[in-house]
Amino acid sequence: MQMVTTSFSLTPEQLDLSRAPLDAIIFLEGHAGTGKTTVGVERILHLLESGIPGNEILLLVPQRTLATPYYEALRSPSTTAGGAVTVVTIGGLAKRMVELFWPIVSAEAGFAYPNQPPTFLTLETAQYYMAHLVRPLLDQGFFESITIERNRLYSQIIDNLNKAAVVGFPHTEISQKLKNAWAGEPGQAHVYEDAQHCADLFRTFCLEHNLLDFSLQLEIFFNYLWPASICHDHLLGTYRHMIVDNLEEDVPVTFDLLRSWIPALESGLFIYDLEAGYRRFMGADPQTAYNLKERCNQQITLLESFSASEEILDFGYAITQALLPEEERSFEQFANSQFPIHHSPLDTTRYYPQMLDWIVDKIAKLIDAGVPPGEIVVLSSYLSDALRFSLTERLEEMGIPAYSHRPSRSLREEPATQALLTLAALAHPQWGLIPSKFDLAYAFIQTIANLDLVRAQLLTEIVYKEREGSLSSFDQINPEIQERITFRLGNLYENLYAWLSAYTQETPDELDHFFSRLFGEVLSQPGFGFHAEYDAGEVTANLIESVRKFRWAVGDSLDAQGIPMGQEYMRMVEDGVIAAQYIFSWQTQLEDAVFLAPAYTFLMRNRAVEYQFWLDIGSRGWYERIRQPLTHPYVLSRHWDMHRPWTDSDEYDASRDSLYRLVLGLIRRCRSGIYLGLSELGEQGYEHKGLLLKAIDRALRSVDSG
Amino acid sequence: MTDFIPRPAQQAVLEYPGGTMGISAVPGSGKTWTLSALAAQIILEGTLTENQEILIVTLTNSAVDHFSTRIEGFLRDQEKRPLLPYYRVRTLHGLAHDIVRERPELVGLDSNFQIIDEREANAIRDEVANTWLRANPHVLDEYLDPELAEGRRDWVRRDQLPNLVKGIALSFIRTAKDMQLTPDILQRQLEGLPLPLPLAEMGLWMYKEYQRSLAYRGSVDFDDLIRLALGALNSDEELLARLQEMWPFILEDEAQDSSHLQEQILRLLAGSSGNWVRVGDPNQAIYESFTTADPKYLREFMTKADHPRELPNSGRSTESVIELANYLIDWTRGEHPVLEVRDALDIPHIEPTPEGDPQPNPPDAAEAIHLVESKFSPEGELQAVADSVERWLEGHPDETVAVLAPRNTRGFALNDELRKRKIETVDGLLRSSSSTRFTAGALGNILQYLADPGSARKLATVYQVWRRDDRAESEIWEQVKATAKILKGCQYVEDFLHPGPERDWLDNLREQEISLDELDQLEEFRLVLSRWLKTIELPIDQMILTLSQELFTKPNDLAISHKLAVLLRRVRNLHPEWQLPELTGELAVIAKNERRFLGFSEDDSGFDPDKHKGKVVIATVHKAKGLEWDRVYLMSVNNYDFPSGMEYDSYIPEKWFIRDSLNLEAETLAQLEAAFSKDAYEWYAEGRPTYDARMEYARERLRLLYVGITRAKKELVITWNTGRKGNLQPAIPLVALQSFWNNR
Repeated sequence: MQMVTTSFSLTPEQLDLSRAPLDAIIFLEGHAGTGKTTVGVERILHLLESGIPGNEILLLVPQRTLATPYYEALRSPSTTAGGAVTVVTIGGLAKRMVELFWPIVSAEAGFAYPNQPPTFLTLETAQYYMAHLVRPLLDQGFFESITIERNRLYSQIIDNLNKAAVVGFPHTEISQKLKNAWAGEPGQAHVYEDAQHCADLFRTFCLEHNLLDFSLQLEIFFNYLWPASICHDHLLGTYRHMIVDNLEEDVPVTFDLLRSWIPALESGLFIYDLEAGYRRFMGADPQTAYNLKERCNQQITLLESFSASEEILDFGYAITQALLPEEERSFEQFANSQFPIHHSPLDTTRYYPQMLDWIVDKIAKLIDAGVPPGEIVVLSSYLSDALRFSLTERLEEMGIPAYSHRPSRSLREEPATQALLTLAALAHPQWGLIPSKFDLAYAFIQTIANLDLVRAQLLTEIVYKEREGSLSSFDQINPEIQERITFRLGNLYENLYAWLSAYTQETPDELDHFFSRLFGEVLSQPGFGFHAEYDAGEVTANLIESVRKFRWAVGDSLDAQGIPMGQEYMRMVEDGVIAAQYIFSWQTQLEDAVFLAPAYTFLMRNRAVEYQFWLDIGSRGWYERIRQPLTHPYVLSRHWDMHRPWTDSDEYDASRDSLYRLVLGLIRRCRSGIYLGLSELGEQGYEHKGLLLKAIDRALRSVDSG
Repeated sequence: MTDFIPRPAQQAVLEYPGGTMGISAVPGSGKTWTLSALAAQIILEGTLTENQEILIVTLTNSAVDHFSTRIEGFLRDQEKRPLLPYYRVRTLHGLAHDIVRERPELVGLDSNFQIIDEREANAIRDEVANTWLRANPHVLDEYLDPELAEGRRDWVRRDQLPNLVKGIALSFIRTAKDMQLTPDILQRQLEGLPLPLPLAEMGLWMYKEYQRSLAYRGSVDFDDLIRLALGALNSDEELLARLQEMWPFILEDEAQDSSHLQEQILRLLAGSSGNWVRVGDPNQAIYESFTTADPKYLREFMTKADHPRELPNSGRSTESVIELANYLIDWTRGEHPVLEVRDALDIPHIEPTPEGDPQPNPPDAAEAIHLVESKFSPEGELQAVADSVERWLEGHPDETVAVLAPRNTRGFALNDELRKRKIETVDGLLRSSSSTRFTAGALGNILQYLADPGSARKLATVYQVWRRDDRAESEIWEQVKATAKILKGCQYVEDFLHPGPERDWLDNLREQEISLDELDQLEEFRLVLSRWLKTIELPIDQMILTLSQELFTKPNDLAISHKLAVLLRRVRNLHPEWQLPELTGELAVIAKNERRFLGFSEDDSGFDPDKHKGKVVIATVHKAKGLEWDRVYLMSVNNYDFPSGMEYDSYIPEKWFIRDSLNLEAETLAQLEAAFSKDAYEWYAEGRPTYDARMEYARERLRLLYVGITRAKKELVITWNTGRKGNLQPAIPLVALQSFWNNR
């Protein structure tokens, strides 16, 4: 159930706000659950109904999932037609503008080939180039004093560039800022210089090759396009009305933009969620966002909560009290509260899977009692693949529908992907990537319908020469074995074999074309494994898309070096640089199902539910930022005093602050009850004693004693 | 507080007024009880604030468990139990992990840094040692015995040096980390020296490559954890202050096994006015592999502690056993022929429990001590011990017995002999934690089959795994084994699992001699298996979880499976090219162990001798620490396994192919230390480190013997053998004990 309701149930205050005059610039603030987004949606509908063309309206959100209620309303058949409303993130806007105005900025921005079109990099392809540049430096001793997986090293350098872009400082200042804040052993600080060097190198490389990563897109937009009258006038002239939701989750450069844009708007609605700001690690800056309030001519605060019950709110406030230093706390107001809280029994929940059983049991009981599955969420600080899988399986066994925020496998782990990659290796012997027997048997099971593992292995043993990486015909093998494999399956294999043999005689296709053909001409045909298999088809489409993007981004530079693109792609898949993403599209979204997600993902969906399960409340992941030796979201923000080291108490305060926001965010999205899962030993077998558990313990005991 | 009536010496500990307290505790003196009682007492006093905990540090995961259980026992009656306890029990590595996790980036780590296990660390050391040898094939030539013929030298280079160099890599890297030296610092130091130290340079090269390999994996090893934890505490005063505030009391058990670095961590945490109680027994400082731990740190602490205490009473053994152990202390301190090792053992002596004590000593039986003088061959010793055990078991079905050997191989040899005689043995201590091994083993068997599904042999094994709960019913189990045998003979597995028309192997089987019940079982097995076969489409972690849900019901099996799933997933991420066969291999390694889980106590699975009455427990003396049996055999107490520092003794670390009986490992470590020594007189002198290492080894062996003796409650048998070449002697301390006992 969305927090958005229809206009029938709007409060008079919400109604007034959404129908405000067409020249109102409103700053709307309030806690989660007070109906702000409802106002935003109604406001857009009202603008449209008042005859304002949709294409004059810009809806800006920090993350696309936050626009969901708007999409739903705009898609509704009752919505007034009249041009599409533009829904973008700041990154999306920057990219559009760079695309549109490329010819006028390319030279000024320093690109080596201003007359040729730019190549936009995805996170994957940016990582690919970063790896390409940094790898040789590692052998020279770069980053020697830190211990980190390579892919994370690359992504942190990219992250630094992105932080500079969203906060709005020159990327050349990254290392200085980080070094100034370094409080550890002085010898360590030189890694920041290494990181700076790599960032500079990457930027130069991008300029030399017309490549645009996220940071460069933003910087070009803000430094060259927005100040240029042609772009500025275009934007101001096109979008006369603006709605910005979840301002508190957006980044500082967005606020710079808005500050100068607001005076030119006809109407504007700026929605600010109090005590939120969950995307700090992405550069979110609620403090700076709040400064926009005074730029607006109306400031409104919504107070009434539609979501949380009094008791739940009390529980949340009690936890926040418990987070305060002892002398500042007061639990008096909760003395008579009955918190609607349950926790797993301490004496029988030693191990993690026992906690999972407890949770599933409680969920089943709720559903038996008539609670719709869609009104239940299971939240954890971090959802490991094993956890996701264990929970889904347990729920499935009880016939309870459940879904998660992302599929449990990355693209490269999909069996269909692996089968396709194996066949691609076989079809391109010139790449020298020879599949193992195991890979091939596995590919056969995927691609030949009803082939079992035993026969697949037998077939592989007989037809595959591993040393050469070549197949032979089914017709050539001895009749007894043919009979064991069965002729029906043998025939299908023979078709596949014939297709691959014919292909190897031709000039090789690009890898994405190869996959399209293999899929279309063989695998999707009757008798083959992808025939009428919707999932496999989706995976193939995603894989083709991933290869295509890779080709666009790096094809030319590989051509120049004489490296086959397909070969490089396969190598990068192996390295975990490519296809490591989780692509959501092929997982069916379930409407009325238990939702499993990390807590922050749930918050960014912005919906309330009846029951929340908080899993493994002892974990530190509930409040702790991800520690990264090469970057730092707080130090690189606008509010950090450049001349101060980041100390342990800064860290503690930051943790406490995020826990405070998190708890309030969660309880404001819960109507009836919270179940707390805790086990003596966590998923990895460690005892957990995090801040959240301590605070809950204090809150519960103080009320008991009251 | 219930069930615990402290005796006077224990009471003196419980009257702890704060500050540093050093407690010397003899074997069986109830130190864990006392320490747990002290922890509970502080908690019940109620002086801890809500942010504070008592930090309890101990040695093994199973000890962590014991502490928690005992403290919980004392706190049972506490009103309003908190959701989380006011104490934290950790191994030193666990504590270091906690500290590093507080601020990983302070020491150059990422939030999700991994700890590599011993096996992976071993593999890396193997690799760097081999690479070094390939690049420097002749650097060690000057250390080879000049008498070796050229052909033999080649063979030594090829066959013997890799292992030696690998061992050196381990101790060098461990020592360098203990000295808090990064490869960088070490390199600068070595480059600045007036004289080259070639062995140290070899060590440095391997250290550097090893660290690079770890960094590449985003991993640290167990030694790094300690080093980095100390680094974090030293580099951030606020962090240190916060942790000091959080842990106002530190109680440390088995303190004799702490290294200098570990001690420093605790010292920092305790702070200047800190409350730090250390309990240990320097006489029980024994080590299985190279370590930087040394009982001297605890001894020094005890002499300076605000409150020195002793726990001398032990109700474990008869007075005869106690007398013998005490004599070993006295003889070592006063009469050992090598003066330098006389400090190996220390007082207090063991004293029986006072009258009326709830744990009285067993009634004395001097005749139950057998210090066998016979000159056995190694095989003869095995036979003699086996004969003796066999005889004894008949008369003592309700008592416990263990045979303790100095080395694993000796233990396994005896195990084989006893099994040949159909005597039930318990060899879990020789291997690894049994529950992890069992869980991983069951999963491993299934994965092995899934990686090779055409194999009828593996299929038959899986059948037994699937039916393993029937093991208890010997009649049914015989049937299961018979069916497995039939399954093993299945020529075409596909005809059983996915039969084509008229090819169903089960149909043909109906004509054979097999019970209907077993046929039904096979039908069901086929269904189960077809589900399992489908799991090969899943990523490894999901595969394990799915299989374990089908296989296990016990919470700790499931928890271990969950952990294994996460672990193998990580392995797979490190080696993306690995497929089921390789991953199965990895699981097999876990099954055999070598791998330690940080955090799961089932690991060292708190071994309880009383659960094995009437069976023979076989273990090494090292593994037997903390345990006790009614009757104990100590084998191989000769001058090879227990050298005494005499010229004619043999020393395992001194390799026959190295000249002048040099202990190359000790020489290398001495070069490392010399590089940082400020005193010209301490400069490296070849041969001296080998001598020192002999003395150290002799000391450790005396303590090993002491630990072995004090495992016995009532009866003790010590034997020795003359070795393969027939030239070994009884260990000198054994001779001393014999003459003492005979003249008593």
